[in-house]
Amino acid sequence: MNFLVIVLLFVVFLQTRIMDLRQAIICLSVQSAVIALACFISGIAHGEGIHIYAPGLLTIIVKVLLVPYAMLRLVSKLADERELISEINVNYSTAASAVFLVLSYLIVDKMLPGVEGRDILALSIVMILTGLTLIVMRSRAIMQMVGLITMENGIYLLGMAMTEGLPLVIEMGIFLDVLIAVMVLVILTNRLRLSFMTTDTNVLRKLKG
Amino acid sequence: MELIYITLAVYGMGAATALFPKKMEMAAHYCAVLAAVFGSGALLYQSAAYLMQGSGSLLSGSWAFFTFNADRWSAVFLLITGLAGTVTSIYAWGYAKSYLGKRLRLLGGLWNAFLLSMVLVLLAADVFSFLLAWELMAVVSFLLVNHEAEKKAAHNAAYQYLVMTHIGTAAIMIAFLMIGSQAGSLDFAVLGQGVLSDNVRNAAFITAFAGFALKAGLLPLHVWLPNAHPAAPSHVSALMSGVMLKIALYGFGRFVFQFLGPTEFWWGAFVLVVGLLSAVLGALYAQMEKDIKRILAYSSVENMGIIFGAFGCGMVLMTTPRHDYALIGFLAAVVHSLNHSVMKSLLFMSAGAVMHATDSKDIEKMGGLGKLMPWTAVFTLVGSMGLSALPLTGGFVGEWLALQSFVTLAGSSEGQGLRLLGALAFVLFGLASALAVGCFVRLYGVVFLGRNRSRLVERAHESDWSMRLGMGLAAILVLLLGIVPGPVVAVLQTAVQNQQTLWRSFADMQKVWWFGSGSYAVYAPLLLLTVLSVVLLAVALMTCGDKSFVHREVTWNCGTYPTARQQYSATGFSKPLRRAFDFLLKPKRTATYLKKGNPYFGRQLEYKLSIPDQFTEKLYVPIQHYMVWSASFLRRIQQGSVRLYISYVMVAMLLVLIWGAM
Repeated sequence: MNFLVIVLLFVVFLQTRIMDLRQAIICLSVQSAVIALACFISGIAHGEGIHIYAPGLLTIIVKVLLVPYAMLRLVSKLADERELISEINVNYSTAASAVFLVLSYLIVDKMLPGVEGRDILALSIVMILTGLTLIVMRSRAIMQMVGLITMENGIYLLGMAMTEGLPLVIEMGIFLDVLIAVMVLVILTNRLRLSFMTTDTNVLRKLKG
Repeated sequence: MELIYITLAVYGMGAATALFPKKMEMAAHYCAVLAAVFGSGALLYQSAAYLMQGSGSLLSGSWAFFTFNADRWSAVFLLITGLAGTVTSIYAWGYAKSYLGKRLRLLGGLWNAFLLSMVLVLLAADVFSFLLAWELMAVVSFLLVNHEAEKKAAHNAAYQYLVMTHIGTAAIMIAFLMIGSQAGSLDFAVLGQGVLSDNVRNAAFITAFAGFALKAGLLPLHVWLPNAHPAAPSHVSALMSGVMLKIALYGFGRFVFQFLGPTEFWWGAFVLVVGLLSAVLGALYAQMEKDIKRILAYSSVENMGIIFGAFGCGMVLMTTPRHDYALIGFLAAVVHSLNHSVMKSLLFMSAGAVMHATDSKDIEKMGGLGKLMPWTAVFTLVGSMGLSALPLTGGFVGEWLALQSFVTLAGSSEGQGLRLLGALAFVLFGLASALAVGCFVRLYGVVFLGRNRSRLVERAHESDWSMRLGMGLAAILVLLLGIVPGPVVAVLQTAVQNQQTLWRSFADMQKVWWFGSGSYAVYAPLLLLTVLSVVLLAVALMTCGDKSFVHREVTWNCGTYPTARQQYSATGFSKPLRRAFDFLLKPKRTATYLKKGNPYFGRQLEYKLSIPDQFTEKLYVPIQHYMVWSASFLRRIQQGSVRLYISYVMVAMLLVLIWGAM
């Protein structure tokens, strides 16, 4: 498990560095795959019956395959595949991630001293905050979707660590939620591309009355 | 008891007539009016029977989440609703026909829904049911005010009403929550049992009073009222003014009697002063208006002021050593509520008849209608006499009792402050009554007497049978309540008596200021009626002899023939008052010279006079400006960028996390 935590941490840091849209999606897919592995490990340790493999399988189907596939299809329609015009330096997001890492360990130690699975909790907080940072600091719609899924992964990891396996209905609900959110976002991004010839969300500022 | 359910069901069916197909518009109208008349009649019968001989509670039970319970305090207001509902619904039979083709089905349905919602407010026995019914009442009355939405003025008035009434509901909700959180329950029966600290009680009193005063149209929260009443169809204004404003008193009474615990002295004094100031200023503004329905709306402000003044007087008396006399103040409030609801319904109905006949609301364009509409003129005269509080009409009884409550207040005083309050109450009350008399002399004189001031009047015609029947019933009631007030007052006192057992009974106090031997103030209407009729008969006999003669001549007018434009106009009539109260009213006068000739003749000038409501000008407009100004600061953080908004969320989340870890 510790090994997975370290891998995931590296993947998340990598996520803040990548500027190419296609690579960012693949990185996201890898990140989700690591989460799925964590699911399997957690399932074998605590679950019984269908709970051993259901969450992991669902994660693989939805987050590793379906969501990146939909996003990749979208990217192939776009002309410029890089987050070129960013008024905020990329290094800031990496630095913010590092700060969050320190902060989350402090928070976890203060709030839940001596808790089992301290690293997983800290990591999930890092993932949530890094996801938010990605949404705030990137202007491309695709990159913001990547941020959203990162955040979602963090929340899922936190839930898994805290509850050691949710009821299947709730798991299904969460995945359906993610799938629909991504579908809506893909449609919206497509409309954005058609209307404004770009997926830069800064243009949405024009909608202000 | 089951009759109430029938009433509710009939109102419900009446409300459903709004769903009739378009072709059956007239049928829908007739069905709706029949349902309203039948339902209100049943309600009237049921509540009157209960008040006269019933014991326990009128009905109690629950349906789904709605729990209801009607005690005597509710029953009085159910009686008012039934009474006013019946006469105005009869009137609506003929009056609402003029809305044929203008959403008549909707009008009939909403009319029933409005009656239904008011009955539900009075029946509600827990906070949730009460607020639900209260909001239903607000929304339905908003839709009724907005009925002629094509007119810009009606549309604006309706939205102003909606905003104001929601502020009031919010205040009431806060009051309920403050009390309910201490009592641990939202049931009315246990709401008063919580132990409240003084601060909470004071805050609950202030918010409750603000909320109900807004609905009742007390100063300075009355601004919606003179706009909403003219905008609504006349029978709707009659019901709004006659019943809906009284329901505010019902709610406030519940708070004072049941929820807030022992009354503080300053609460009563506050209610008393606010009420009486509303009475004076309402009557003053009523004098200045030229729109017939705005006059009546301001008159409602005046009368609600008197009602709340008397109620506040009762609250003050509760805290003095002579608290056993507190009944008189509350009784005055209830009696005047009943009388005012009948009188104001009557006058709004006759205002509707006049507007229907002349297509105008401006009384400066009327005059001489008495000859063309004799029935309406007589009914209006009766209603005007009632609202001027002349003896032998219902209006006098309530104001007499209010006056007696102020006498009791002055008599029971020990400290100088209390005596001063009594004196202040006398002065304000007297001033308000005098202004009201002037207002209705002006209204009746300008509309029905004299000669016609414009061509609109020539086409005027008497209203149809149903409108005359509605107005006639109300006029008879006004006289009946004035000539034999004893039984009515005796019945109504049981409603107030029930609230606190410590009070001396009405029969006990009656000697002091009602009639009987040893009383120092007597009001015996039958005696007065006898004396008056004997005197009138004697005068008539004397003048009917051979010596009397009638000689018709044109009024002397400095040698020229008088024209209609030279009569006393409504604006002219109120001129002395405008001069006397210039400092309060701040009228805006503009004279524009169209042609400047010789200073003595040949000049043409245009004279404009407007009296803006000072509360709107000095209070509401600055508040509005301030809100717009402060909103411009909020704009700085509203940049329209999605990422910025998400970063706000992120910062908030970080702060919460750090705060939690600290």
